[in-house]
Amino acid sequence: MNRQQRLEAEFAAQETKARAMGGAEKLARRKAAGMLNARERLQRLCDPGSFIESGLFATSTSNPADRDSTPCDGKVVGFGRVNGREAAVLANDFTVLGASSGATNGRKIAHMKRVATQRGLPMVFLGESSGARMPDHMGSRGMGMLLGNDGTQYQRMRETPWASATLGLSYGSSSWYAVLSEFNVMRKGAVLAVSSPLLASLAIKQDVDPQEMGGWRVHAEVTGFADLIVDTDEEAIDALKVFLSYLPSHHREAPPVAAVPAGSGEGMRDILGLMPESRTQVYDVRKLVRTIVDRDSFFELKARFGKVGVTGLARLGGRTVGIVANNPLSRGGAMDADACEKLTSFIVLCDSFNIPLVLLVDTPGFVIGTEAERQRAPGKIMNMMNALALTTVPKLSVILRKSYGQAYLNMGGGRNSDEVAAWPTAEVSFMDPTFAVKVVHGIDPGLPGFDKEFAEMDRASSVWDFASVYAAQAVIRPQETRDYLIRMLDVHRLRLSDGVGRHLMRAWPTSF
Amino acid sequence: MASIKIKTEVTGSVWKIEARAGQRLAPGATIMILESMKMEIPVIAEDGGTLVELHVAEGESVNEGQVVATLTG
Repeated sequence: MNRQQRLEAEFAAQETKARAMGGAEKLARRKAAGMLNARERLQRLCDPGSFIESGLFATSTSNPADRDSTPCDGKVVGFGRVNGREAAVLANDFTVLGASSGATNGRKIAHMKRVATQRGLPMVFLGESSGARMPDHMGSRGMGMLLGNDGTQYQRMRETPWASATLGLSYGSSSWYAVLSEFNVMRKGAVLAVSSPLLASLAIKQDVDPQEMGGWRVHAEVTGFADLIVDTDEEAIDALKVFLSYLPSHHREAPPVAAVPAGSGEGMRDILGLMPESRTQVYDVRKLVRTIVDRDSFFELKARFGKVGVTGLARLGGRTVGIVANNPLSRGGAMDADACEKLTSFIVLCDSFNIPLVLLVDTPGFVIGTEAERQRAPGKIMNMMNALALTTVPKLSVILRKSYGQAYLNMGGGRNSDEVAAWPTAEVSFMDPTFAVKVVHGIDPGLPGFDKEFAEMDRASSVWDFASVYAAQAVIRPQETRDYLIRMLDVHRLRLSDGVGRHLMRAWPTSF
Repeated sequence: MASIKIKTEVTGSVWKIEARAGQRLAPGATIMILESMKMEIPVIAEDGGTLVELHVAEGESVNEGQVVATLTG
């Protein structure tokens, strides 16, 4: 064996050990359960042959005995191209000490985040981890050595987009990075929580069901921490790629432009048919959204949370837009605290990454009453209002039907949008005319005089009065909505700053 | 077979029941329509399933969050 051969042999032996993950048996068990391992996940995420690993030979060093059994210290990191664009990626390897957080892998994550932030790369987290590594973190020496030595560890200034997938049991850091991210997709069967059910059971002396505590239903419907729910690892990773395709690589550039798919706008001629004629009937605004935007481009976020508000990324004429809409199908479109928080966080996402906003308005106002106040409605309503006021990307609003009271302002009414357009079906007033007749004239529906006063109130809410005072810059035929928005997005393009906004909300909280 | 409790999103009254016990419902199908805030608000079987039981009748008042139907998925 010459020197070259000796080095090759040594390299090969080290590499085989480093790539072994937690061993064949554990990997086989995962496969049987339908779960990809860390390296398979990275392979699915990155363009073929584009992954270049960082720290392949890093191991746990807290205990010398762990050195041979902790390949990559349980976290595989590196750089890969995702749909042709460079990204920093992290895959937790649960087969190595549960991908628990240790000294070495903490330094690996810190390096990835530092490079991503300084060089303008999206950061992707493939989450599945058991939390802090025991016993390394135990005792005051363990704490002092391992935790808190990086003051920026959980700092978020939205320099580059972060996308996370919760793919298994996720406690500690995997949960933290999931909620710090712009997007978190969750696979059914995964759990996202502060701590494991075992620890929770010990602490509160009762049995804790992992799915009840942090399963997909909880995060899709109650916390809003899951933006999307899928059935498999493959679907989750594909969703990360789709999400990133709408975003720029960093906050100092405009989002990428895509080709406009054939058939886009095809349904516009019949769009009015998607809205019922009666003002008391509801409809699903997402059907209108899908008709207006480029074909198959609507990527809805948090579909099961705060459902009265719809949020999603889409493209109009090939350009990324953020859709914010009221959905009458839920609560008649009356916005609640959850919807306000969902819309606020989405506005922050769009503004931070130079994505223009399109607001589609049909709301009778905010939900009021005892329960709404207990959910801190005034605070949520004003947070959303403040976010809209601090937005520096273009904002276009289209009033489809109702726009009442304070919700008129929250949905971009007046100078809270760059352009306000209204359909001829729009009605704008301080409150629903039915209630206004009662408040102003003291007449209930069905009593003499109600119909006459209602007709008067209703007429005064018409779009033509609204347009006459230039509160709407345009009244548009429903079938023209797509073309109007594409043109106005061009008019309002941020030419003076190459499509880049001012990011006044870059330090806004990352969850609610 | 998971049991799914369908809750109302709004306070109001049951205006019209559209599904019957034993019926197989497609995802997004309407179970009943409530009248609330002068609007007709549907109660939907988001994931679909078989309707096991209706817990309310037409004309009855319902509170936000009340379980009005049980499905199996």
